[in-house]
Amino acid sequence: MSERPALIQLAKLTKRYGAITAIAGLDATIDGRIIGLLGPNGAGKSTLLKSLLGIIPYEGSARVLGLEASTHGTEIRDRVGYMPEQEAFLAGMSAVELCTYAGELSGLPRTEAMQRAHAALYYAGLEEKRYQPIEGYSTGMKQRVKLAQALVHDPEILFLDEPTNGLDPRSREEMLELIVDLPTRRGCAIVLSTHLLPDVERVCDQAVIMHRGRMKFAGTIDELRGARGPELELVVEVKADAARLAETLGAAGARCEVLSPLSLAVTLPDATTTELVFRGAREAGLQVRGIAERRESVEAAFLRVIGVEGEDKAA
Amino acid sequence: MSTEATPRPAGTIYDLGYKRYAGARRSSATRWRVLMRNQVATAWKTWWRYRSHLAYAVGTTLIAGAVMYIFSERIARSLIGDKATTFADAALPLSIQWYTRAGFLVSLTVGARIVASDIQAGAFTFYFARSVRPRDYIIGKLAGMCVLTAGVCLAGPVLLSIARLGLSSDTDALVHALALVPKAIAIGLLGALVFAAVPMAFSSLLANGRYAVALWTAYYLVFGQIVSGIGRGSQGWIGALDIATSLDSVAFHLFGLESFPGRAVNVAAGPALASLLVHIAVALVIVSVQVRRAQGSGVGGAT
Repeated sequence: MSERPALIQLAKLTKRYGAITAIAGLDATIDGRIIGLLGPNGAGKSTLLKSLLGIIPYEGSARVLGLEASTHGTEIRDRVGYMPEQEAFLAGMSAVELCTYAGELSGLPRTEAMQRAHAALYYAGLEEKRYQPIEGYSTGMKQRVKLAQALVHDPEILFLDEPTNGLDPRSREEMLELIVDLPTRRGCAIVLSTHLLPDVERVCDQAVIMHRGRMKFAGTIDELRGARGPELELVVEVKADAARLAETLGAAGARCEVLSPLSLAVTLPDATTTELVFRGAREAGLQVRGIAERRESVEAAFLRVIGVEGEDKAA
Repeated sequence: MSTEATPRPAGTIYDLGYKRYAGARRSSATRWRVLMRNQVATAWKTWWRYRSHLAYAVGTTLIAGAVMYIFSERIARSLIGDKATTFADAALPLSIQWYTRAGFLVSLTVGARIVASDIQAGAFTFYFARSVRPRDYIIGKLAGMCVLTAGVCLAGPVLLSIARLGLSSDTDALVHALALVPKAIAIGLLGALVFAAVPMAFSSLLANGRYAVALWTAYYLVFGQIVSGIGRGSQGWIGALDIATSLDSVAFHLFGLESFPGRAVNVAAGPALASLLVHIAVALVIVSVQVRRAQGSGVGGAT
């Protein structure tokens, strides 16, 4: 039985536009169900996507589903769906016509393309509106059409570029539900390029962070949050006097930050466990009511990884 | 007018029974046919884009056919003698200028906005994120335009040439008329190609359909009239830069009508044909360069 190749394999991937290096020597193996592709403007995300779709030439190697993008671009694009950020519609077409056309352009026979267009639009929540011209659609409906046209040819990977941009909270929630549902129901992996880090936190299990053409991080969301070092950070809730517990734990070598009269953040020294907290509480005569690992938000982790804090200080 | 999706309970996802597609995919070399079919279907959908011009071409064919029929009749021959045969023969080449006008109208409503509209709508992202290569796009769009322009520039002349065959009074006339068919095909194809490729090149130069139409109209009508006027005055080759004059010149040369009364040809057939072929070649180069350039910047360009 042949083993499934990784979704994306990069080896010394470099792309230069004249004197400007858009991406520089990327090395990574990226796999997972929903992968967040993060980075500030100019980080190289679009260039990476173009390279992966085999649209622009590059140096090094970029393999998608085991196929080299520079030589197998058309095969890759038949197996990949792309939902663009900007509007990419054809004038005068209804959603069902557009999706049928999209399916045919991806190699499906006309009848199959039409059936799948209806199914994809129904899945994306357009139901009876699918026969109306796209020009009259609201932003949310246009986003749904973009998702449906990316899905219609049954891709193995979906590249979603800012799929929740411009959506109201309800539509955003529904779009995120669809994104979470896709890998389970349709068996396709998703690469989600976005600036909205709460979306990544909500749906992604993997993250790739790019900054100034370099890959700063590639791994799971948990790894991203826990990539600070070996120290264990906790939030401890006590029945009373968090400051007294902070003093006791501080004397034992822990770093403490009182968050409220009844809670404190504790960074334990290397090679210690939560037992240190309980021992400290006993010594201080306090009762611990709750203890949990302190989770860094994806946003904080992202800023830390791209070094914004450090740059700001340096500036 | 904006319409809203029908509300449904949050968290409900409808699926009409998804199954992974297991059939064969068509070769990427066939994508141009999909593009071509869509091009024709889109033009056909709106009456003013194509059907009205086709009706104009059909009208031209009916009128030219009627003229051909009347002058082929014995009564006409008995009234004006050999001139009747001359007029019957001339009906086809004289009608070419009317087909040329129909071709220009199709180029205005379809051809001159074909690429510009795609750039304007962001359709390059739609196309090139799929297994469509720039050459598939160019061939597909060009083939679609050729089908449309052939409908108005080629079909009519070919029908008229076949009608002329049918109206032949004897075997000698039939043999003489037989040569009209390949000539009609040649001039029809040339017209169809010119009115497909050249406006498409103009449309690829601008990212706005209306501006592209304006530019093409200015080139065809204003620049064409100017160079045609200069050519008429100087009797030089410069008049060949006018597409309409060149098509007329080639048609008259093909059908041996250079000296037909009142239809003086200002440009020799050689320069006229060369001009048309150069127009087509330059247009294809421009479209090719512009589409390839747009492909690289289309996908993911906004992020």
